[in-house]
Amino acid sequence: MRTLMIAAVLTTLGAAYGLYATNLHTRRIEALVQAREAALAKAKADIATLKAERAHLARPARIAPYARALGLEPGRQAQFEVGASATSVQTAAAVPPADQRTP
Amino acid sequence: MSHGIIITPGLAPRALNVPPVAAHDAGFPHLARRRAQLAIAATIVAFLGIAGQLTRLALLGQDRQTVSISAPLATGFARPDIVDRNGRLIAADVAMPSLYADPSIVINRDELVEKLARVLPDLDTAALRTSLADRSKRFVWIRRGLSPAVAEQVFHLGEPSLDFRYELRRSYPSGSRAGHLIGQVDIDNRGRSGLERHLDDKGLVEPVHGAAPSSRPPVRASLDIGVQHALEDELQAAMTRYRSQAASAVVLDAATGEVLAAASLPGVDPLNAGEFLDPARVDRLAGGSYELGSIMKAFTVAMAVDAGQAGLETRLDVSKPIEADGYTIKEKHAPDAPLTLAEILARSSNVGVGILALQAGAERQRAYFERFGLSQEITTEAGAVPAPRLPARRGDIETVTLSYGHGIAAAPLQVAAAMAALVNGGLRVSPTFLMRQPATTSSERILSPATSEAMRVMLRGVVTDPHGTGRKADVPGLDIGGKTGTAEMPKAGGYDKGKVIASFLAAFPMSAPRYVTLLSLFEPQGTDETKGEMTAYYNAAPATGRLISRIAPLLGVFPPRP
Repeated sequence: MRTLMIAAVLTTLGAAYGLYATNLHTRRIEALVQAREAALAKAKADIATLKAERAHLARPARIAPYARALGLEPGRQAQFEVGASATSVQTAAAVPPADQRTP
Repeated sequence: MSHGIIITPGLAPRALNVPPVAAHDAGFPHLARRRAQLAIAATIVAFLGIAGQLTRLALLGQDRQTVSISAPLATGFARPDIVDRNGRLIAADVAMPSLYADPSIVINRDELVEKLARVLPDLDTAALRTSLADRSKRFVWIRRGLSPAVAEQVFHLGEPSLDFRYELRRSYPSGSRAGHLIGQVDIDNRGRSGLERHLDDKGLVEPVHGAAPSSRPPVRASLDIGVQHALEDELQAAMTRYRSQAASAVVLDAATGEVLAAASLPGVDPLNAGEFLDPARVDRLAGGSYELGSIMKAFTVAMAVDAGQAGLETRLDVSKPIEADGYTIKEKHAPDAPLTLAEILARSSNVGVGILALQAGAERQRAYFERFGLSQEITTEAGAVPAPRLPARRGDIETVTLSYGHGIAAAPLQVAAAMAALVNGGLRVSPTFLMRQPATTSSERILSPATSEAMRVMLRGVVTDPHGTGRKADVPGLDIGGKTGTAEMPKAGGYDKGKVIASFLAAFPMSAPRYVTLLSLFEPQGTDETKGEMTAYYNAAPATGRLISRIAPLLGVFPPRP
């Protein structure tokens, strides 16, 4: 009987300790999960901000002046006329003169 | 239960059926002492354990604590990104700091308000003083959606009663581009108009605590940011060049109805709610109905061809005036010889289309307007488009005037969609601001393929005919076709001859039309370049030519190889 009692008391104490330890561990894991989730949310928010910044920097209204400075103007009506003529000229120029053709 | 622990005086041990007390007397003190020691040891161990845990907590501290302020205040809304048809970002949620105060711990209210006013000059200091006066409150918003730079200035004020909460705020990387179409959100990040409102209506917006962005996939708009930029750039240039008060333009896929670019200038900034209420910035593309004038002649001619009234070779004598309900309609410059149908359209003959309309009659005209979708209200993802306005009475004079666009007012977007059916083989098109996946074309036929083919030839003629009103829109190799329209703007009791809407409705390339454009200039002025004229021939047509020459390469339309 005594042995049984001692065993029961020890088991109760052990179970209580185990419960306490499990509870503590659970809270720690919970805190860890919350921290990870917060970090994930922050990373996602940072990515969203970076994507918005990249889109803002790459917007055509910002790029256009730089492109124009490099001589990259948008197409104009006159260029289409010149382009058609230029294509004909290039085609003619691509054909070597008769005296230079390989027999 | 246990033997020997309870000793009752006068009660014989034997009667209790327990061993005699005398047998235990020798061991009891020793046992009791041991048990007491054990209990003391257990207590000491327990207290040591508690002390150890307290020491650990004191030394290491607890994990970061979070304080829940108030559930309703902590709720925001996460919205999916909006991207263009090529995946480029149009709208996104970003986490931004919002400033709040805890009135219960404000030390010096006046000093706090003065400090804040230095950082936030437009702060309503009187209202803030009133809010902070109630010290029973624990939470008062001061400014939501601060920029990081301003938040840092506030942080450096060092006021313990101030703190920040990060919230999701909408960001538009392209600024005011396509502002009318994109719409706006309110302070809680919920959509109020345009595509933003559509996302709410479709249940794509979810309530969140904190600043966690939406995990939903982005919503793909039909817009092309590059084409949108080119369109707004050219439209702004046209407004300046022709000194117009406002302008609108749209680029539409002729087969699917997808809007690749759309703008109404002056535009609106989605982040500036006040601009949406400014009458000068009203959406003139899909938010109002306007008379667009002779553009409607294209639909009258299409009706005549489709109904078998006339063909490409049909000639009509337009040199004589026509009479309708006592009114006389005549040409400004009457030709000597009868004109073909193509010439009637190219020269924009009022008498020519008037004759066709009278031949068709009011009923047929009404039926075809319905077919073209020019008599019913339509709805897009950006909201309802105002229903076209048509005369209630349909006598001969109304039939004639409607044939050349006098008396019918419609949203330019709706007219552009109707134009698509004229050139795409005769299939009805519904305009959409979202990319169709997969790209689907309409199957509802409203015109025969032969009619559409004839219309392509005649609309091209408007640009190529020596007398064509749209020849200033021509761009070699791009095969542009279309129709001009100049309509006087209404005023009380009639029309204002000094104010017009000049438009050019176009499609390209006319051999196999892929895109439809409609460019309108509101109240353009005569300039040296236009010889003082305000008509679409001088302004809207050349502006459309410049627009198409710029966007065609972006859309993969090039002149054919020689």
